[in-house]
This record gives sequence, structure tokens and C-alpha cells, in this order.
Amino acid sequence: MVQEEDLELYRSQLLDSMSERPSRSVRGPSDPIQVYVNERRVGELKGAEIEATLHVHGVDHVETVQLRTEDGQLLGGLVAPESGFRTTRVQLSADTVELCVQNTVQGGSLSAVFIPAPSFWNRAWTILANVADRWMVRRPESTMAYGVRAVVFTQALLAVAVVGLAADRVMIWIAPEHTVTSTVRTEALRTASVAEIGQLSKQLGELRAMQTKVGEALQSQEKGMTLLHQTMARLSSTQESVASSVVMVKEEMEKRQEGSESEIDRSVQIPVGRGGVDQEQFETAIHGLAADNDRLSKQIAGLEEHNRTVTAKLQMAIAHVAKAVEQSPERVVAREIDMARKHQRSPVADNRQGTQAQPFLFWVTFSEGTTQESIDQWVNEMKGHKGAINEGWQEVQILPPPVPPDLFLEQIKGEKIIKEARLNH
Amino acid sequence: MQNTLRTSHIIADRTSTVSRLEEVVSTSDEFDQVVAQALPLLLDRAAGYTKRFLRETGQWNDDIEHEKFALRWGAEYLERFLVCGRTEVPCRPLFLFDSLVAKQHSKPEPFCYHPDLLKPLGRFLDGLVARAVVSRDALIALYHHSYGWGAGDVIAVTGLNGLESQRIYKNFRRWRESGWQRTIDEMGLTKTELAELENQRQRHRQRFNTEAERLIRVAQGHYRKSEPDHYPCLSRSQWGEMFSQGYGCDYRIWHLALCLDCMQAAWGLGSSESSVEKPRLELQVRP
Repeated sequence: MVQEEDLELYRSQLLDSMSERPSRSVRGPSDPIQVYVNERRVGELKGAEIEATLHVHGVDHVETVQLRTEDGQLLGGLVAPESGFRTTRVQLSADTVELCVQNTVQGGSLSAVFIPAPSFWNRAWTILANVADRWMVRRPESTMAYGVRAVVFTQALLAVAVVGLAADRVMIWIAPEHTVTSTVRTEALRTASVAEIGQLSKQLGELRAMQTKVGEALQSQEKGMTLLHQTMARLSSTQESVASSVVMVKEEMEKRQEGSESEIDRSVQIPVGRGGVDQEQFETAIHGLAADNDRLSKQIAGLEEHNRTVTAKLQMAIAHVAKAVEQSPERVVAREIDMARKHQRSPVADNRQGTQAQPFLFWVTFSEGTTQESIDQWVNEMKGHKGAINEGWQEVQILPPPVPPDLFLEQIKGEKIIKEARLNH
Repeated sequence: MQNTLRTSHIIADRTSTVSRLEEVVSTSDEFDQVVAQALPLLLDRAAGYTKRFLRETGQWNDDIEHEKFALRWGAEYLERFLVCGRTEVPCRPLFLFDSLVAKQHSKPEPFCYHPDLLKPLGRFLDGLVARAVVSRDALIALYHHSYGWGAGDVIAVTGLNGLESQRIYKNFRRWRESGWQRTIDEMGLTKTELAELENQRQRHRQRFNTEAERLIRVAQGHYRKSEPDHYPCLSRSQWGEMFSQGYGCDYRIWHLALCLDCMQAAWGLGSSESSVEKPRLELQVRP
């Protein structure tokens, strides 16, 4: 009876722990996440507010993937398909882990990416950018000239900079941890803020002047465009007059052919005279047209030059705005985090070395006639150690290579004394 | 009469729960909802399958130890099902659960079974080592439970650097705060059994530790298979190279905690201040 009660108690205990499972984890924000493949630990993801990646390749198929905290709590996982891909996103409070499993005939592979929750400034910046984008997209293309759009964009950037600056100040003033953690630090921040505000005000003044200049340049460009339109109109009217002259000449020629011979003889002198006059007029028109054309070309070249200058000024203005926005401390921190993230994301091998500095084992056979000395020398060059020999295959153990295993094996296969190399015997 | 009514009501409930579990669920949320309502049924089902497996392999006895063993593994399967099953939608949860348990039982050694590991001391050691495979806190705590070491000793013995040292202290703290109690709960060890273990340790120290060493070797031998394939036992010279060159931090931590022989082989390599005498098992019950 006592035993039955004991058993029932144990069962209830297990059920209770199962029910309250999600709330039991004591994972801190910087605690790594243990990754298990087929219930074997293969590495960990450093979950410390930066993106981290873990790649695992093996000759065995991946059956299950599990993510656990350091205290062993199962956070998530997936059951892999026998063949093909499967991906899933495991939500860990605000952070996410993306799992991608692939099983092929050659074996299985897992790619796990830890994506930290975006910071406050990242979210704010994204929202502002989205709002700006939507606002720009809503304006019909035809009704808004390029210059006006550029001015609006510059103004939007300026507004974002001002809002960011104001929010930055407000956050610094109201953030409780700043006041709680250290008064000295708060004083330093305030001192720095005054200097910074001065600098930013100066920059904003420069920016405003730059914006005025850009506006003026754009106005002059518009004037140039008007002039161009007028010239084009003159050109087209000249072309019309030339065309009408040609038609008139043709009509006169036809009339002359239709007239009597006598009249032809008599009147030949007149059309010829008229033809001469028309020809003169025609030549004059062509000369005028050529002159107009030259002038137009010069004006177009001048406008293009002007356009380039205006574009350069606009770029400078945008750069100044961006610089002004980035001057705030949070942006600097965010940039540093971005840099760190890039650093973290780039090489898989780095992550491996960092997270699991474990020896890399592989097997090689040597070309015929290779001496033991050469083998030893090669192993020394690899900074490795020889392991077991099995059916002519030599096990070699080295520090993890900086390139993926497959690429590494291909590289060493290219060496003269190596006949064959592979990961498993 | 009342009992009959209650029994028939329970049977009707179970039938409706089973039929709900047999229906297709389309989303992860739906899966969570359906499964959360059927936890007792699923736990009993998994325990039942484990019992059947033990009977069929000639490892079953009708006693509370075996019942607890079946329940413990049933809970283990259920936990995995709760997490992994939601990525399998759309599915029929009951069939998925059955296939998951069947898959586990089709493995060569699905769990560490030894009659002596079902007794309180064996259950304590088996539960501890099993937990160490999935929890780094438990793994680090295994150094304390096996040899009575603190965080500083673990750092010195395994030759860790500064960054890793911080983690060791954290692991110890978490284990003391919650990890140990949770593991004891999962083992199904009662307060009386724990007190009895403490009593034995104090009264018959040598016999207690000799028995513990014999049993921990059985458990370690089984669970060490869960380590990465490339973490085999090494000779002292190989350990020496690893320590002197400063690589294989994970290798050292994971393997040495789970291998008494390698711990003795690698003794003194991590720190010159370690005592000359090789470590012997000195089982600690409390964290």
C-alpha cells in the first residue's frame, strides 16, 4: 500500500514537472545553448546577444536534434526526415534558433543559427525606415519631380536624426540603471552629453545650410530644364517651317510641270528665281538649325555637369545626416555589435574553435615509396600527432583546421606524399 | 456503486482523449493543446511500452523499483515527444508518440538497465550520470559527487582557462540552487532513501564507496556512449599533450567526468599543485 502511494506520488511528480516544463528553465541571457544530434552532444551556441552559428556534418544520418540549456532543460528540437531537408525555428523567449537539417546518401548535416532578439534601437530604426519607405512609395511617381523627392528624403532623414537625438537624450535621462549603477558614470554621461549636443547642433546647422544649397541647386536645375524645353520648342518650330518650305517647293515643281510649254519657257525664270529664294531660305533655316543644335548640345552638357554637382552635394548631405545620426552613443554601440556580429557570423571554423576546441581526426594513406621520415615531417608540419594504423590507413590528429573538413581533406589530398584522405576509416 | 460510476466515467474520459489524440492536428498550437490535456494517458502509455519491452527482454520484475524505472523512461520519452512532436504537424499525435517510443526501443540499448541500478544507491548514480549527459551543470557536479571537489578543484584538475572557469562556478551554483533537487525528483528518490544513503556513507564509508565505484562504472560505461565519437579514452601521454598544448577543453571536461580510469590517468596534468595521490571515488549525496 505504501509502495503504491509512493509510486503514485512519483507519477504525479513527473506529470507536474512535465506540465510546468516551459517555465522551469533557468537559462540566463548569456548562457550557451547545448546542441545534441541523435542524443549526442555536438557543440553549443553562444547565446550572448550576438548571432552564432554551428554547422555539423557527419557520415551518420541525423535523426533528432535537441537544444538544451546548461541545466539540461529541453528547449526545442526536431525529428529529421530520412532524406531531404527540414527546417524549424525554435523560439526561446525573444531569441530564436533556426535549425536546418539535411540528410543525403552521404550522411547528415545540421546548421543551427542563434538569432538574438533585436535591440531597442534596431527596432526603432527599422520602424522609422519602414514608415519612411511607405510614405515615399505612396507618392505617385509622376507628380513628384526628382528634386522634390530628394528634398523630402533629406528632410525625412533630418527629422529622423532629430527624433533619434531627442529619444537618445530622453532615454539617458530617464533610464533608471544609469542612475542606480553609478553616479559618477551619470555625471560623466551628462558632461559628455552637453559637448555632444553642441557638436550635433553644429552639425545640424551645417546640414541645414547644405540643405539650402541643395534646394538652390535644384531650383537652378529646374530653370535649366525650362530653358531646355523652350529651346526644344524653338527647334521643333524651325523644323516645321523647314518641312513646310520643302512641301511648298515640291508643289511649285508640280505646278510647273503641269503648265504649258510656252508658259513653261516663260515662267521657267520665275520658279527658278523662286526656287533660288526658297533654297536660300532653306539653307538659312538649316544653318539656324545647326546653330540651335550646337547651342542645345552645349546647354545639355552644362546641365549634365550641373546635375553631377548637385548629385554630389546631395550625397554629401546624406552622408552628413547619417554621420550626425550615428554620433549618438547607442548607434556607436549598435555599430560595434554589428561589427561583432559580422565577425561572429563569418567563419564557421572560428566558431568551432571557439566553442569546441577539440582535436580534428582524419585518416590518410601515403603514396608508395614514402619514407617514415617524410611522414613524420609532414605530421610535424601539420602540428599533429599520429594515431592508430589500420589496414594501411594512418590516423592523424590535429588542431581543428580553419577550413571546413571536406575542403581541408581536398587540400591535403593535393600534397605529394598523400595518396588518399578521409574523415573515417 | 459510486466506484463503478467513477470507473466508467474515467474510462469514458480516456476513450474520448484517445480518440482526440487519434485525430489529425494541423498546427503546433493545436498539438500543444491536445497533448497537454492527455499527459497522464501518454505517460502511462509510454510506461506501459517500457514495461512490455523489459518483460520481452527478460528484465522485468513485479516490484516498485521496476515500476519507477518504467515511469522514469516513460517521462523521458514524453518530454522528447512534447518538444519534437510539434515540428511534425500535421500529424496524428497518438501514432506519432507510438512511433517515437518504438523507435527508441528498437535501438540496441535504449536505456541503462542493471538490477543493482534499481536500488536507491544505483538509482542515485544512474540518475546522476544520465543527467550529466544532457546537462552541463550535472556534468560538472559529477566531479563533486564523485570526488568531493569544489569549483576551484575542478578548474585545477581539468586545467581550464579564465573564461571556462567562470562557467564552472555558474554550473556549481545552478546545480546547488535547483539542478540537484530536480534530478533527485526525476529519479524518484524519497527523503527517507536519501537519508538512508547519507547514513550508509557515514557509517560504512569504505564499503559504500566500493559499491558506488562498481555501480558508477556500469553507468559511466553506458552513458559515455553519448559523448561525441571522437572523445575516446586516451593514454597519459596523450592527455599530457592535450593539457600542455591547451586544446580539447570540452574533451577534458566531458570525458574526465564520465571516466574514472582516465581521471586517474590524467591526474596531476592540469595543475602542478594537485596532490600526488590519485583520486578515489568519495561519493557525495548532497550538492
